[in-house]
Amino acid sequence: MASKLQLCVRRLSTLRKHCCFPSSSSSSFLVRSRSLLIQPSRTINHHSSIHSPPLSRTFYSSPLLNINSTDTEGPAAIDYRSLLQEGEFHSLADSTIHDLQEKLEEYGDTVQIDGFDIDYGNEVLTLKLGDLGTYVLNKQSPNRQLWLSSPVSGPSRFDWDQNAQAWVYRRTKANLLKVLESEMGQLFGEPIKLA
Amino acid sequence: MLRQLASKRLITQRIQILPRFYHEKVIDHFNNPRNVGSFDKNDPAVGTGLVGAPACGDVMKLQIKVDDTTGEIVDARFKTFGCGSAIASSSVATEWVKGKQMEEVMTIKNTEIAKHLSLPPVKLHCSMLAEDAIKAAVKDYKTKRAKSNVDSEAEPAVKAAQA
Repeated sequence: MASKLQLCVRRLSTLRKHCCFPSSSSSSFLVRSRSLLIQPSRTINHHSSIHSPPLSRTFYSSPLLNINSTDTEGPAAIDYRSLLQEGEFHSLADSTIHDLQEKLEEYGDTVQIDGFDIDYGNEVLTLKLGDLGTYVLNKQSPNRQLWLSSPVSGPSRFDWDQNAQAWVYRRTKANLLKVLESEMGQLFGEPIKLA
Repeated sequence: MLRQLASKRLITQRIQILPRFYHEKVIDHFNNPRNVGSFDKNDPAVGTGLVGAPACGDVMKLQIKVDDTTGEIVDARFKTFGCGSAIASSSVATEWVKGKQMEEVMTIKNTEIAKHLSLPPVKLHCSMLAEDAIKAAVKDYKTKRAKSNVDSEAEPAVKAAQA
């Protein structure tokens, strides 16, 4: 029991570094109660992410050099009209992650992989495929992105594309669901559908 | 004697329960980071790459000093705000770019950095940030070079006009 608690605390602290919690202004009750566990970071994030894009950008001498611009070929001006509202981002991202989790759990029953394990905790979806590697999918709220870590293609960061109504990795124009379908289809040895 | 043995076993057992720990290479880079510091960013031979955002947890500044004539990176410095994996990734990046041509370092992949440090899946994004920092530094240097070339070309034109 104590070790499980240790595990949870450690997981929370690594996740704190990895993904940021949303500001309290528009978060749901569930998220607010979760963020109460990490009191100190909440105040820091509140200041830096209240109108998240502009505040973090004005910090630098070169305002276009930021995480959004590194995802395009060169420094590109950010189209603020296309940036999601925080509430919209959370509901979209959460529904994407939950849908994926359900579909993968179904496949977990049929697919023959040693060490297949799906875990969803603190808004992070972890899919273990034994020796084949581990997938991690989580929200990166300040950038309105979904971050994926894949044992096949490494790290990628997906933005919501309003026109395509899908999560797209700007650098490669890859679609999140298609990437997962093709990679996991190869790993599982059978084609899968995640859409 | 028996009590000592028993308590030692308890300690080793407790250590084995810990599921996560940093790879020793990451710890080494964290405790003995290579090339920490900065160059004068107004120096024309220096390219500065600044990537990340504090809200996301990681910010990396990587600077390269380039030999104008050969295009070789003669020195590099970094300053990183973030987790141990981010610090180690940028430290490795500065080690790897030294003594290489700019075109060559653009081919450094985040997967190589991650493999070198045995980064866990959750920390692969740090290696990607390090790769981005290298690319941003090279890009900045090239932009500065291009800008100074344009200025030096404009000067003789102005002189000719005045003459």
